[in-house]
Amino acid sequence: MKKKLVSLFLATAMVATMAGCGNNDTPASTPASNGSSSESQAGSSEQTPAVAEVEKPDSITVMIDGTVPTKENYGDEFWKKYTELTGIEVNVIQPDHDAYYDVVGQTIAGGDWPDVIILSSTYYAGYAAEGVLWDMTDAYASSDLKARHEAKAGSAGVVDSLRINGKLFGMPATHGNGCVTYVKQTWLDNVGITSVPTNYEEYVAMLDAFTTGDPDGDGVNGNTFAVSAAGFAGKEAPYTNYLPEFYQDAYPSFIQDENGVWYDGFNTDSMKAAMQRLADAYAAGYIDPTTLTNGTSDCRNKFYSDEFGIFTYWAGTWANNLKTNLEANGLSGDLVALPPIAEVGAYVDRITPAWCITSSCENPEGVFKYFIEAMQDGGDVQFLFTYGVEGCHWSTAAETLWADDEAKAKTYAEGEFHFLPNAEKPTTAYTKAHIDPMLALVDLEAPANSVTETAKNAQELFNANCKSAFIVPTTETMSEFNGDLTTLKNELIAKVTMGELSVDEAYAKYEADGGKAWSDAIVESLNQ
Amino acid sequence: MKKTKTKAPKQKMSGKKLAATIYRYRGFYLMFLPVFVFAIIFSYLPMVGIRYAFTNYNGIKEPVFVGLKNFQKMFGMANFWSAFTNTIVISVTKLILTTAFAVVVSLFLNELVNIHFKKAVQTILYLPHFMSWVVTASIFSLILAPTNHGLVNTFLVNIGVLQPDKMIYFLGSEKWWRFSYYLINIWKETGWQTVIFMATLAGINTELYEAAAIDGAGRWGKMRYITFPALANTILTVFILNLAKVMNLFESAFVLQNDAVLGTANVLETYIYYQTFNSGAIPNYGYTTAIGLFKSLVGCILVLTCNQWSKKVRDGRGIV
Repeated sequence: MKKKLVSLFLATAMVATMAGCGNNDTPASTPASNGSSSESQAGSSEQTPAVAEVEKPDSITVMIDGTVPTKENYGDEFWKKYTELTGIEVNVIQPDHDAYYDVVGQTIAGGDWPDVIILSSTYYAGYAAEGVLWDMTDAYASSDLKARHEAKAGSAGVVDSLRINGKLFGMPATHGNGCVTYVKQTWLDNVGITSVPTNYEEYVAMLDAFTTGDPDGDGVNGNTFAVSAAGFAGKEAPYTNYLPEFYQDAYPSFIQDENGVWYDGFNTDSMKAAMQRLADAYAAGYIDPTTLTNGTSDCRNKFYSDEFGIFTYWAGTWANNLKTNLEANGLSGDLVALPPIAEVGAYVDRITPAWCITSSCENPEGVFKYFIEAMQDGGDVQFLFTYGVEGCHWSTAAETLWADDEAKAKTYAEGEFHFLPNAEKPTTAYTKAHIDPMLALVDLEAPANSVTETAKNAQELFNANCKSAFIVPTTETMSEFNGDLTTLKNELIAKVTMGELSVDEAYAKYEADGGKAWSDAIVESLNQ
Repeated sequence: MKKTKTKAPKQKMSGKKLAATIYRYRGFYLMFLPVFVFAIIFSYLPMVGIRYAFTNYNGIKEPVFVGLKNFQKMFGMANFWSAFTNTIVISVTKLILTTAFAVVVSLFLNELVNIHFKKAVQTILYLPHFMSWVVTASIFSLILAPTNHGLVNTFLVNIGVLQPDKMIYFLGSEKWWRFSYYLINIWKETGWQTVIFMATLAGINTELYEAAAIDGAGRWGKMRYITFPALANTILTVFILNLAKVMNLFESAFVLQNDAVLGTANVLETYIYYQTFNSGAIPNYGYTTAIGLFKSLVGCILVLTCNQWSKKVRDGRGIV
């Protein structure tokens, strides 16, 4: 009897475990609206007289990545506040940031699509071509949001950069931003460089001084690297943004010329010259040899440990992050943001991730008006998406942060706006919720001191010296060959840089392995 | 007493008898039921997805039947054959090395007299098995770095084997990558495999060693004539069982490989990964399914081959 009871218990436990494992944690997609205008919520007073009445949804299902506050960073409080402001319930699907696009692929393939989804440029173009995304061209054209964008210089251009054959399938919330080259001021001082480089020759002279001299002031020459990066070529567009001075006008993927004709930048002389520059700099020891295997966090940690002095990284808020982390490590946080050297011309403003409405959404017009538009309303909702929740992400209470660290402690008076310590990294403070205040497309009255001078200066320099990236449409031929082609290109760039192949040998291998044929096939499909 | 020969029944058990048997062992069947359902749902039902290998399918629109086109493309790609060869070579070599080292370590551990010290060493040896591959790769990237922060290169420079400007990029060089990979795997997996061999060694009758000692056998003699033969069957069984899994190689290769070593480090599952996420477009899941199907077929052939070998060496007992 006892044995039977034990076996029954074990079987029940196993069934329960299976049921738990098989339980789908993602909430079922709820209808975007309940379809009945008689149940419209109070509090929604905005009506656009020129547009047919748009029904406000009761609930929306959104799929978002880690750029929106996660659970660990008061995500629940964020969406609760959103519901308080708008009266709309939000079902959030928020996979781990690193696995976001794995889950997006599975979700789209599974058929149970959310109402709203954040997509990067690659997936945006691909899913738009396949009919996954709702065409918001008309909704945007007749919206107040369009007027707000037109009121701020540059914003309309960001929206236009997402158009595919004139149609709009997603809405940017911010400029895409890009990377700017930061140089440690103390390193410049220690090697006697008094002015920042303006061309490649001067840049190389700086690299040489940082590598062969004693820029870190430890009394030892030649124990530092000049520059490091997360890989010799980026894993997503624009692929050259971490080493722009070496790539200059080269681009290892598909570009459109001024006549609208597509071609592969990898097949150009510019790319060959870029690879040679990388190889020469690597052989001279200017580039950190572990660039090949670095992740971005490895680079940041080495930068904070004073292992190298030139770091091309994201403009704006990151300038302040780099500064504060250097200071936390006992180093000077003075960084010079370099204007692009002559050969680079302009830094690249990447295509921003877009907030898209899927074609399975039952009330896309309502979701557009009451969610997408509201996010950039220039008022309370935009404030929430920019600064987060009071008491979680920011505060105006009189207090001293990091009181136990004399060097780091900051005291704020009553009413003084300040960001609160990051829940996951308590030694640093939040800088935004989702929308970077310096990258916003709609003007919002910013609280005093919400942006540091460091971040603001870096962002202004970037904004004044950037050019927009472009969307590459997706084709079947690209699906078929670009996986192998990109792998081959990255392999050749790495091998040439590390001196294992010469440029000519690399291009011979490129042709022998089928890379040229794949590239030509993709270009042909793009130009059809 | 008359011996009666019992013959295996030629007829199927009658329904009544079957039901009675099931009822008699119902506890065991009940325990087996969840496993059975789990296997059906997660192992057999997904096999329906094999049909995508014969289609172009991007996960959004309905799949379009293309016959054997995906296989034709696959067999025509040099990268595919490179990944296939790498998978077999790396997996089999890794298996041989980790098994051999596990045997050697087990034998040495078995000779330790102090039981507490023995257990402590064994625990330290198999702890790396529980470390995630991501953490392992991170640690070894630092240890093997070609800079004066890299432990191995610094040591080699200090003892005069290497010049300071000629440090070796172990993980960034096709010449050294596999060697580094095998060493890391030995470090991580050897200890865990010793658990099985130590269990076998613990089961050897101590009277055999006493008899050997009386006959004048030394430590090496005991190992050669008692320990090795006792362990041989276990070694072969473990080897054959693991050989069936050689096609399943992803995590360790993925975290340790990089752009410069793909010629020797790219394996089938990482090839599938790059096809999916490097395409810059919505991937063709039909093609990646075709590769996965080929991999499964090869794995199936390996399992059946290993099963035949197992029957030969284990008195007719297979692994399936």
